[in-house]
Amino acid sequence: MRYVTAFGRFWYDFLIGDRPELFVGPTVALVLVALLIQAGWAALSGLLLFGLVVASGGVGLARDLAAAHARSDQ
Amino acid sequence: MSVVLFTILSSFIASAVEFVEALTVVLAVGVTRQWRSTLLGAGAAVLVLVALVAVLGLTIATLVPIELLRLVVGAVLIVFGLQWLTKAILRAAGARASRDEVATFGRQLAALAKEPPVPASGTDWISFTVAFKGVLLEGLEVAFIVVTFGAAGGQLAPALVGAGLAGIGVLGVGAAVRQPLARLPENQLKFGVGLMLVSFGTFWAGEGIGVAWPASDLSILLLLAGYLATSLLAVRTVAVGLVKRAAPTPMQARQEAN
Repeated sequence: MRYVTAFGRFWYDFLIGDRPELFVGPTVALVLVALLIQAGWAALSGLLLFGLVVASGGVGLARDLAAAHARSDQ
Repeated sequence: MSVVLFTILSSFIASAVEFVEALTVVLAVGVTRQWRSTLLGAGAAVLVLVALVAVLGLTIATLVPIELLRLVVGAVLIVFGLQWLTKAILRAAGARASRDEVATFGRQLAALAKEPPVPASGTDWISFTVAFKGVLLEGLEVAFIVVTFGAAGGQLAPALVGAGLAGIGVLGVGAAVRQPLARLPENQLKFGVGLMLVSFGTFWAGEGIGVAWPASDLSILLLLAGYLATSLLAVRTVAVGLVKRAAPTPMQARQEAN
């Protein structure tokens, strides 16, 4: 059981760690684009996926910057 | 052909960055304690990593359906790539300190100086363990990249070639200079790897959910160009924001003038 927990914790730290937005953003993006493709809106799905991934990165950057500013203001 | 070269290049750059970090640990342990035990520990970690890549790479590729594999691997590559890329953007803009191999080397030396002395004969298990852990932890990221490229793109051999060339190159230079490779443009390399991982990830994950990419495999290059442009824009935006933040407000400027 200890090894299973350690294995799970390793993957959690590896993929999520202290930046959950970089995991949640792309996951939501893929689900959204997949739903649109299923609904027959496939034409610009690649462009939409690209845009949503960029937006996820932007949110991650904004959060990192806010944290850095908060540290420097203390 | 472009995908093969792209895979070799991505694997080479990503692996080189991780090997440089592993080399710093190995050098610190070898210089302060015992080279034989240090190299044994590093070698044992490399064996574990090779076994991991062989077993996982072949098993995953044969057992999991390709569409599901591309979706999962692509999604993971996007997440992993964004982590590298956002940190590299912040470092390039000056909002985050760059990794300093010389400082890391110094910290390692200081930590090792507190350990018990090297035994007069036999294996020094402290050297072995520290070198093993250092190489294994840094190497896991290399193994992860090699396995994902191998499994999702059917590019295990090119990914292994890239990682192998990086390992030989970094170890060769490290053995020659016997000091941390501080002059390597580590952040630029991480920036490049982040871009490649996110581009491959978007392409494969997109294929997994049914995106019809307009230019087939060449779409990876279009994605790379798009991510590069937006990342450079982000570097500039963050840097300008930092300058504005550092500049005094009009009220502060008037108070300073008075």
